[in-house]
Amino acid sequence: MSAHTAAPRPRPGAARTAPRPSVAGRALPLRLVAPVRARTPRAPFVVVILVVLGAGLVGLILISTVLQGQAFEIARLQSQAEELQIQQQALERDVERLQAPASLAERAMRQGMVPNANPVFLDPAAGEVVGKAVPAEPRSNVARVDR
Amino acid sequence: MSRQRLVRRRLSVTLAVVTLVFGVFGLRLFQIQGIDSQAYAAMAVEAGTARSVVPAPRGEILDRNGEVLATSVAGTTITADPSMTSAEAPRIAKILVDELGEDELDYFATVDLLRTAGSRYVVVAKDLPAERAQSAVGAVREQELTGVFSEEVTLRAYPGNRLAANLVGFVDGERKGVQGLERQYDDLLTGTDGEATYEVSPRGQRIPMADSTVKDMVPGTDVETTIDRDLQWYSDQRLADAVRSSGSEWGLAITVDVRTGQIVQLSQAPTFDPEDPRTIQDSTSVSRYLQTVYEPGSVMKPIIMAALADLGKVTPETQISVPGQMLIDGFRIADYWEHGRINLTAAGVIAKSSNLGTIIAAQQMDDDTMHDYMASFGFGSATGISLPGESQGILPPAAGWTRANHATISFGQGVSVTAVQMLSAIAAIANGGVLVEPTVVGGFVDGDGNRTPAPAPETRQVVSKEAASMVTRMMEAVTDDEGTAPAAQIPGYRVAGKTGTAWRVNPQTGRYVRGQNTVSFVGFAPADAPRFATYVVLDRPHSDAGGGSTAAPVFHDVMSMALERFGVPPTGSGRPEVAQEW
Repeated sequence: MSAHTAAPRPRPGAARTAPRPSVAGRALPLRLVAPVRARTPRAPFVVVILVVLGAGLVGLILISTVLQGQAFEIARLQSQAEELQIQQQALERDVERLQAPASLAERAMRQGMVPNANPVFLDPAAGEVVGKAVPAEPRSNVARVDR
Repeated sequence: MSRQRLVRRRLSVTLAVVTLVFGVFGLRLFQIQGIDSQAYAAMAVEAGTARSVVPAPRGEILDRNGEVLATSVAGTTITADPSMTSAEAPRIAKILVDELGEDELDYFATVDLLRTAGSRYVVVAKDLPAERAQSAVGAVREQELTGVFSEEVTLRAYPGNRLAANLVGFVDGERKGVQGLERQYDDLLTGTDGEATYEVSPRGQRIPMADSTVKDMVPGTDVETTIDRDLQWYSDQRLADAVRSSGSEWGLAITVDVRTGQIVQLSQAPTFDPEDPRTIQDSTSVSRYLQTVYEPGSVMKPIIMAALADLGKVTPETQISVPGQMLIDGFRIADYWEHGRINLTAAGVIAKSSNLGTIIAAQQMDDDTMHDYMASFGFGSATGISLPGESQGILPPAAGWTRANHATISFGQGVSVTAVQMLSAIAAIANGGVLVEPTVVGGFVDGDGNRTPAPAPETRQVVSKEAASMVTRMMEAVTDDEGTAPAAQIPGYRVAGKTGTAWRVNPQTGRYVRGQNTVSFVGFAPADAPRFATYVVLDRPHSDAGGGSTAAPVFHDVMSMALERFGVPPTGSGRPEVAQEW
């Protein structure tokens, strides 16, 4: 078994198809040429691979660092939001309690005001008082506030 | 030649090994994908997903102007893992007790709890306001102690405390409504909890961008009542004062808009504070306006007169000769004041609250007619108000009535009512004979803010408009200076009303108890264009209290405030002169 194949034998009248290389009109004989040993340098390839790997690694680290940083930030902001929400609710509750009728009445009565149950109206169009105005006397109806 | 054979053999051996390995892989793949696929998929999902419940906030209960009567706030439950806390239990317990106060936590009980053997979960303190719980848990963490956690819950808050407590009701530890509106509309108020399912890493961290399914939370629907919060507070307070000063066992004051049936104020004393469990007792939390039945006494007389007027048998001027006493079925019946034979008009009978005059007038109706009129006014059946536990009262069937029954029922003894029944019947007279089912709910507001009005209450004509206006004229005589309740007069307004001083039945023996009364006043204003009817009941006040002297002043104040708050001006017309005697 031979690994080499024979060079194509020139066929008769092949002058038309394959012009023979000639030097100064003289035909050169064919000869076997040793295979060219194309030895590509390995270094640049390795460098490229390493650079790509390195860049990827650094990128990953960067991304995960950023993500983690953001995760911490999110956690921090979330707990802050929660705290603020709780604070807001506590304040809302205080407002609701303070504006409940009982606590309003208590503060008003402490300032000497008297609940007036006398329905008297002013008719702005006619400029007259509708109903009988009766002064509200202290302790006349609600005397104290139960809590 | 031998080297080539060697290579070939190696090749085929390698091929065989590779084929075998891939064959095993293939079989395993087939097993996983083809045979057990469901089970493995489920396991994968199980391992990689986490579920969290999104609690739906309970709907609010509002007054007619959107002011809050009951609301939900974030709360926190503190839990602990005894396997982590047992070593440092005394230190942790001390911090918690210091932070939360001794009312909330007992030091020794907490130490025991934190040392519970064999448990990894104990509840240390339930349902605390979030801010207090967070600061307590934070204080434990600051000391580098572990094993104490907080869980988020929603809490019910009643900013008005005692305000309209018997109407609003309260919720139990599982946040189920157990009384009043909280119970009636529990399903609507509750809403539907949402659920979030998301993929997590083996360490339990949520994988961003990965599949997550979310079942939306549907918040509870708000219930908008017909109550006016400020009027409610005023009458709560006024009634509580009256109950205290008269030494009564309990009291009720209810105001209804006669045209719409909407109850704008519903007070009960003594009442409870839904935020203070110690005040929630049977005697304070019972909805007396619906559940307590009692004999109403003379406030029933206008109902009888309305029936008679509707039959054309009586007008305000009808002359009635009233004897000093009557003997019916062996019972001696008299008026509350001593008199011989007197000549009263029908208006005079109502104004002076004569039992005998009413009996004589009522004798023009047979048992069935009287019973049917009373049934049509709503006695003996539920009013249809949308609240739980309504009692029907007791209106005995006409077939069993004796002559004495007929006589006593005409002045409100031997018949038992609830306060809402009584008020709604009188409101029908104020409303031109048209009875409007009482209601406490004006509408519902869902989570998106869409308001659905409550269904319109049912109405029915009970007596003619003419009959109603005749009875109104009779009732106006009650607040006259000559009547039984001049204290109910509101300067500038025409006020119609009726006093009641009923003998009180001992529920154990079923007999009347001498010296024990239920006093009341019911009335409406303005009498010529009625807008509100108010009913005040005081049960078992000190013995010399009467409807005109004890209940009428409360009526005066509450009614005045209602007219003022709703801007109902006086009509300007004068009180009609109706003769009381002839």
